[in-house]
Formats: sequence, C-alpha cells, structure tokens
Amino acid sequence: MDRVMSNKKMIALYVLPAFMLILALIYIPIVLTGYYGLMRWDGIGAMAFIGLDNYSRLVQDADFWQSAYHSFLLALFSAASLIGYLAIALVLSGDVKGANLLRKIYLVPMLLSSVAIAQLWLKIYHPTSGVLNSFLTSIGGSGSVEWLSNTKIVLLAIFIPIIWQYAGFYILIYYAALKNIPSSLIEAARIDGANPWQIAFRVKIPLIANVAKVTVVLAIVGSLKYFDLIYVMTDGGPNGASEVMASYMYHQAFRSFDFGYGSAIGFFLLLICLVITWLIRKLTASGDDIQYS
Amino acid sequence: MVKKSLSIVMTVAMASALTLAGCGSESGSKSDTGTKDGSASSSSSEKVTIKMMHLWPSGSSKQQNMIVNDIINEYQTANPNVTIKQEILENEQYKNKLKVLSASNDLPDVGMTWAAGFLEPYVKGQLFAPLDDTLNDGLKDSFVSGTTDAYAIDGKTYALPLELNITPIYYNKAIFSKYNLEVPQTYEQFKQVVSTLESNGVAPIALGNKDRWTGSLWYMYLADRLGGQDTLRNAVARTGSFEDASLVQAAQEVQDLVKANAFNKGFNGLSNDEGKSEFMNGKAAMYMMGTWELPNFTTNETVPQAFRDNVGFFKFPTIDGGKGNIDSWVGGPGVGLFVAENSKVKDEAKKFVKFFVQKWGEQSVTKAGVIPATKVDTSKVNLPQMYIDILNELGKASNITLFADVQMSPSVAQVHLNMIQALFGNEVSPADFAKNHEKALAEQAGK
Amino acid sequence: MEPTILAPRKFARLATHPLWRGAGVTTLYAILAIIAIIQVFPLIWLLFFSLKDNQEVFNLSPFALPTHPKWENYTKVWTEGNISRYFLNSVWYTAASVLLTVLLASLVTFALTRMNWKLKGPVLGLFMVGLMIPVHSTLIPLFQMFMKINLTDHPLSIILTYTAFNLPLTIMILLGFYQSLPREVEEAAVMDGCSVNRIFAQIVLPMTSSVVATTVIINMIYNWNEFVFINTFISSDHLKTLTVGIQNFIGQYTTDWGAIGATLMISILPILIAFFVLSNRIVEGITAGSVKG
Repeated sequence: MDRVMSNKKMIALYVLPAFMLILALIYIPIVLTGYYGLMRWDGIGAMAFIGLDNYSRLVQDADFWQSAYHSFLLALFSAASLIGYLAIALVLSGDVKGANLLRKIYLVPMLLSSVAIAQLWLKIYHPTSGVLNSFLTSIGGSGSVEWLSNTKIVLLAIFIPIIWQYAGFYILIYYAALKNIPSSLIEAARIDGANPWQIAFRVKIPLIANVAKVTVVLAIVGSLKYFDLIYVMTDGGPNGASEVMASYMYHQAFRSFDFGYGSAIGFFLLLICLVITWLIRKLTASGDDIQYS
Repeated sequence: MVKKSLSIVMTVAMASALTLAGCGSESGSKSDTGTKDGSASSSSSEKVTIKMMHLWPSGSSKQQNMIVNDIINEYQTANPNVTIKQEILENEQYKNKLKVLSASNDLPDVGMTWAAGFLEPYVKGQLFAPLDDTLNDGLKDSFVSGTTDAYAIDGKTYALPLELNITPIYYNKAIFSKYNLEVPQTYEQFKQVVSTLESNGVAPIALGNKDRWTGSLWYMYLADRLGGQDTLRNAVARTGSFEDASLVQAAQEVQDLVKANAFNKGFNGLSNDEGKSEFMNGKAAMYMMGTWELPNFTTNETVPQAFRDNVGFFKFPTIDGGKGNIDSWVGGPGVGLFVAENSKVKDEAKKFVKFFVQKWGEQSVTKAGVIPATKVDTSKVNLPQMYIDILNELGKASNITLFADVQMSPSVAQVHLNMIQALFGNEVSPADFAKNHEKALAEQAGK
Repeated sequence: MEPTILAPRKFARLATHPLWRGAGVTTLYAILAIIAIIQVFPLIWLLFFSLKDNQEVFNLSPFALPTHPKWENYTKVWTEGNISRYFLNSVWYTAASVLLTVLLASLVTFALTRMNWKLKGPVLGLFMVGLMIPVHSTLIPLFQMFMKINLTDHPLSIILTYTAFNLPLTIMILLGFYQSLPREVEEAAVMDGCSVNRIFAQIVLPMTSSVVATTVIINMIYNWNEFVFINTFISSDHLKTLTVGIQNFIGQYTTDWGAIGATLMISILPILIAFFVLSNRIVEGITAGSVKG
C-alpha cells in the first residue's frame, strides 16, 4: 500500500498539471496585484513606486471599512443560511415522496445568470409597482417601502437575493454528500431503533462534517469577495450604502482610474480571506483532517 | 482503454500548463509591447487591416450599427487594400475593456472615447494620437464650432466627436392640460407646476438616480441658472471654488425639490431606464434627459403614437436674481473617435476616421436620430418637427456646459456622482456637499 | 464526534407521537411545496419577461402576461447576429473547461487524500488561495500574459482561465467527499497489485461519481454564464459566446429588455436539460458507489 501510494512520479503526475495551471493563471495575477498595489498607477500611464502609501491610505479610508463591514455582514448571513440549506437537503435526502422532482425544482434558480436574477429582484423591489410592495399593500401594510433607495434597508434588501442565489449551490452539495452516505449505515441505525431526528443528528450530520466545513469556508470566502448582484442592482449605492469590498475595488480601479489603489484593495481582500480561512480551519479542525490545515 | 485516453488528456494538460508557466514568468514587465511604430504607413497597394472598437451593437442600436457597416463597406470599396475589423461591446463592458487594453498597450487602431475628464488619462499616457492634422485638413469647418474643444488637451485635439446633445425637460402635454398647467418660464412657476402635480397625485418628475449622472443634470442646471455658466466650470478647472455661494445654493434647491416630492418615489434606487418608464407610461409629467431620447418621442414605432404626440419640451427656466441665461444648456458632444498612438496603421486609421466623421454627419440624424457634432442643414433634411426645434435651439444656444462627470477627472467624477446621490437622498447637507467636492478637486489638483 | 446535543432528543420523542407525526408531515409537505413554487417562479417570470416589450416590462406586474405576447423577441434574437455560432462556442468552451477542471481536480484530490507525501498541507493551501482573489484584480495581468504568448482572442485563453479559476472550488468540494470515502476497497486493490492509475480510474472515480456530477453541474453553470473573461480576452465575433448575445441588446442609452429576456430564455434551455440529466446521476452514482463500497 505505502509503496504504491508513495510513488513520487505518480504524485507529481497527478498534482502538477493543475498546480502549474494555478501557478500561471492565479499566482501570477496575485503577485502582480501585490506589485501594482505598491504603485501609483492610473492603469494607463507610467507607474510610480510609492511603497505602502496605498495601504496606509486604505487603513484610514472610512469608505473602505464601511464596505468591509458590509462584506463581513454578508459573510455572516451566508454562513447562517447554510443551516437552512442543510435542513432542506436533509429533508430531501430522506424518504419524502417526490423528493427527486422537488430537488430538481429547488435548484432551478441556480441556473439563472446574475443578469436575470438582478432583473427579477429589481421587479420585486420596485418602489411603486414592485411585487413586494403590492403584497404589503394587499395585506394592509403601507406598501411604500423604498427597498433599494433607503440607505437603512438597502443592505438587507440586497443580501436576500444574494443568499437566495446560492441556495441551489449549497443544497446540491449537501444533497450529494448525504446521498453519499452508505445506506447500510442508516439502515443499521434504524434497526437499532433510531428515529429520523436521531439519524439526522447522530449519523448523517457527523458523516458529512467534512463537507459542511468546506461549505462554511466557501460561503465566507465567496461572500467576502462577492460582486455580481451588488454591481447590477445597486452599484454599491445609494452613496455607498450597499458597497462591498469587491465593488469598492472595482469602482476604484475601473471607474476612478486608480488602479494602484484598486490593486491594494484586491490584495488586502485576499489577505483578509486568508486569515479568516485559516481561522475557520483552526476552529473546526478535528483529529481526522488536521493534516491538511 | 481508460488509461490510454487518460494519459493523452494528461499530456495535453501538462504541455499547456508548462507553456503557460514558462512564458508567464516574464509577464511582469510591459515595456517591450510598445515597440510598434507608427511609421509603417501604407502605400496604397499594401494590405491594411484597421481594428475598430465601438459600442453600437446591432440589437440595441440597429440604425447606428447599420450606418457604421455602410460606412465601412463604402470605405473598403473605395480602398480595396483596407479591411476594417469591428469589435462591438456594450457601454460598460466597452469602458472596462478599453481600460484593460490601455494597461496592456494594445488599443484598437480606431475606437470611441468620451470627452475631457475621461480622455485626459489616455492622452497623458500617450495612447491617443493627436488628430489636428486630420482636423485641419478641411474637416474643422464642418463641426459645430466649439464641439471639438472638449477633446482638446494642451491645444491638441485627440478625438473627433460623433454626437452632440443638449438636455431639455420633456413634458407630457396631456397631463399639463389636464391640470391647466403652462410651460414654466421662471423657476417660481416651475415650482408651482411641481406642487400642483404633486397635490394631484401625479409624480412631477421622472428620475432614475441609481445612475447618478441623471440627478447631476438637475444640479447642473440649478448651478448654471443661479451662478451663471462659468461658476461650476471654474470650480472644476480650479480657477474658482466649489464652495461658491451659488453652488451651495443650487444644492439647497435640489433638496427643496426632493422635499416637495418633485421626483418619483424611490428614485435613488432606480436606474435611468426604470425612471424613464415612469414618464413613458404617463405616470410622471416631466423628464429631463439628453436629446438622444428624441427618437422615443418622434419616430420610435414601439412607443404608442398617442404618447409620442403628447410629448413636448421646454428649456430649464431662469431663476430670479440668478446669473444664468435661458439659452445656456447642459450637454455636449458624446462619443468621439480616437486613433491609437501606437497603431501600426496610424495614417490609414486617420484617413478612415476623417471619412467616417463626414459620412456619419451626413446620415446619423436622418437614419438613426443621432444629432451629429458636424453641422446639419435643417433646410435639406426631412426631420420630425421636434428635431427641427431642437436643432434651432442648438443654433442659438449661448453656451453648452459639458456634463459634470465628463468635465471632471475620473476619480473626482466618482466623488461628484456619489455626492449627488447623497444630496438627493438628504444624506449630506448642501454645505458638506460643496466641501466634499472642493476637497476632491483640490486633492486631484495637488497630484 | 459524539453527539451530545439534547434538543434533538426531545424533538425526537415528540416526533414519534403518531398524531404529531401526521400534522408534522402535512406541514412539512406544505412548506416543501411553497418553497418549490418560490423556486420555480423565476423561470416562469423569465418566460413572461421574454414576451414583453420595454413598455410592458416596466408597466405590467412581473407575473402578468402581456395581452399580445411578443414572440418577435425570439425571432429578433435568432436573426440578429451570430447566435448559432455563439451557441456552439458556449457549448464547447463549457464542455472543454468542465472536463478539464473536474479531471484535474479529481487527480489532485486523489493525490491529496490517498497518496502519501509531504507538503500536502501547503499544496492544498496554495490551491485554496485561488478562491480568494477578486476577478477584477486579475483581468489586466491575465490579459497581458495571454498577449505575450499570443493567446488573446484564442479559445484556449478562455478554457484555461475557466479551468484555473474553477479548480480551487472544485477541489474543495471534492475534498470533503474524498475524506469520507472508505479506504478498504483501495487497500484490497493495492494488495491485488493494482496500479495507482487503475485505482483512480476504476475504483475511486466511479465511487465519487455523485460528487463528480455535482461539480460538473456547478462548473457548467459558472462557465455557461460567464462574460467578464470572454469580453476581455476575446475580440473576434466568431469566438464569442451566448452571454455576448445579451449585450447585443444593451444600448448606449436604452436597453431592449424583452430581447434580453428572450436571449436568457434561449440560453437557459440547454443548461436546464443538461442539469436534469446530470441531476439524476447524483442518485444513480450513489447506488453504484454504495454497492461497491
């Protein structure tokens, strides 16, 4: 066993192709982003080396920290939403009638591009003719909430479609993981007299703990660098009320032509993600997979 | 079998990964891409390919796209050695790609740019070629005077404009007559109109301020009517201050309009398209927008005839005690054509640009409803009355102030646009609004 | 991990009561049905949206059909531009990148979880960093790199980029599953003198077919809807994809929303079909896997 599975040539053959690709297409951009972050550069003319000026500006930039706060909130909400998705996946993977069809239907929104999702939610949130306000009026509410222009609610309003957009993604992963549990194990628990709750909490969830940990990392990292719907639906507005780190970076680099500063933000975002991922893996490490963290 | 096909895929993957890594390691330097020279001018028999990038896709801008193709075909027929290759992207993606191409020194030979603040970084980075030789080669007189100035930096012109727009207030005649309203001549009358409409439950003004430049138009007019045509311009050019009393006052007037419910509900979260639809479906009485909207009020068959017949326009009224003139407009040239400084076919590209501008001027307004920056002889073309009226207004305009976000450098423009949204949302006081502008402008000037 | 949670037990006792169970099951199905309706609405909305003109898009309720459905939106989309070409490109870029990504990711994950070597931790970490870089930071560096090796305006630039950017995510998802796979079968195979390649291709790959199907679905959706890289790296019309068809209807000042709806509808159909087919694989895969496991 050890000899076969320790063959250096085979290991290299398995790992190197992907590794080279990542090195070329992800690490070169990362290194260059770090490099541009040390420059004053509008992305067009000559670069000038300014050391860590962009970073000291970043530290004092209240707009950036506001966007970072928004990103962290989104990460928190996304991570919390995983519980709901896990619950749905648990139900679907049990012996519910029609689970197969339901599962497919549940995942349909995932197929839509961000362009379509944004349009849909813009129609839902429209201040006068929107679905949500019409509904609120019909149940006796005031129905005149300005979902996307009220700076106090826009952030929550934009989080809902973002979190919903990923529902299919996580349900799919959980579902596949749950279905991957050998049915013999569940059968054995049932014979021992375990009820569905006990099977879910004592057999199924512990068995997919590894997958769950991965999804937590994915949800948090994905949220921290989230961009799409914010860009289409509010463009970070009104006046920065729904700005997140990635949209702030984009605005600096591509709208304000401050590519040096934009790169510094991009690099800093990467560092934040690294630290947080490291923390998550430390916190969730168990004897089984400590070797990977 | 499995093993064999697997190893083939692996080899391919390995090979490509290795090639990439090998070549990618030197991509940190961008110096050697600039070695192209413009000297390779074409003798007429030599095969030449001109790359052109524009933002008129056939789907959304059918007429513009058709004219571009016609002009290209005509040019290629007249110059059989020349091939013109188009790349078309929509507005936002176009701007992003232009940025990436510029950073990589790989601009198309001919492309579209916007004036002043947008243009400046490209000129400073020496990416656009001066076009004065083309302009002085008999082209200058065909432009409406002053329109090319917006593309000039330090006395050289770097792009030739294709569009010229001004910004009237369109109004729904049916709604106005229903409430016995007259077109306002003074700002007091205008506020009266707003309050009558508002008290009758009609949204007075359609506005989608998510795009922010839309709200900026209102601010600009108020600044112009209060402080005269030069106050804002001077503040941006740093010969004046943004904390000028009239610029603060204009911000105050904007907030007064918002308080009077002059704009449709939720405007700060609506795009221009969504805001406009409030006007197009007769829910809002007025809409301020560039003359690029004229086709929707005249020739566009997908808009109901009854609605089109009911649309009129008026000029932003004057304010008592203000220094502004009613014939002073907000507007200016829109997109213009540039030639890349590093183009290998610079001379050919310039020739094509000249040809394009002339041909475009002949047909853009009649075929696509786009008012060109070149002069239009209204006596010779057959146009809807609204176009004739607008072109006449253009002829007697005392001043056209370029859109603020185009006047300003990109980073100041972002501050301006955000401040506009905050101002309309009552989240910044007029004094702070001015102060933030002043700060951004001063910082920019200091760089 | 010993589950010591008390709450589930209490619930468990409640859940076993027959009366409660009856009511519970009904509520459960009601909730499942409501979620199903919510999740399928976007598709219906998109269909209606695609049959409207701009006036109707903004005036009518999102869930109302116009009196005269504008089927011409579809003819417009089909006749305008090169849509069949875009379609083919979408299919082949997506297929090639998905194949490459899932294969390379499987190899790496196999090596990370099944083979014995040092540096596993750092290598996994290096892959994970790929999740953390914001897309807009990479555009300029990647473009310059492709320009140097003459790959701009070449399909390879797209396929390699898609592969590289989806590899980290795919590896992460696979990892959770590989970690919980039983090792007995492989151990037996090694005893029998099986080569690493055979163990991977004939034992492990079939056992993971459900998660492979999952990652294929996820990759497919991402690649199919991607447009930032396409717009940046590709300039020739004959190399562009369906997402470009959407842009065709976005104008300088106005946008033809009905036509965009029709394009979105046309482009979602193939992926919907592919999704339904692959989605069955998730279940089938498990059955096959559990028989072997």
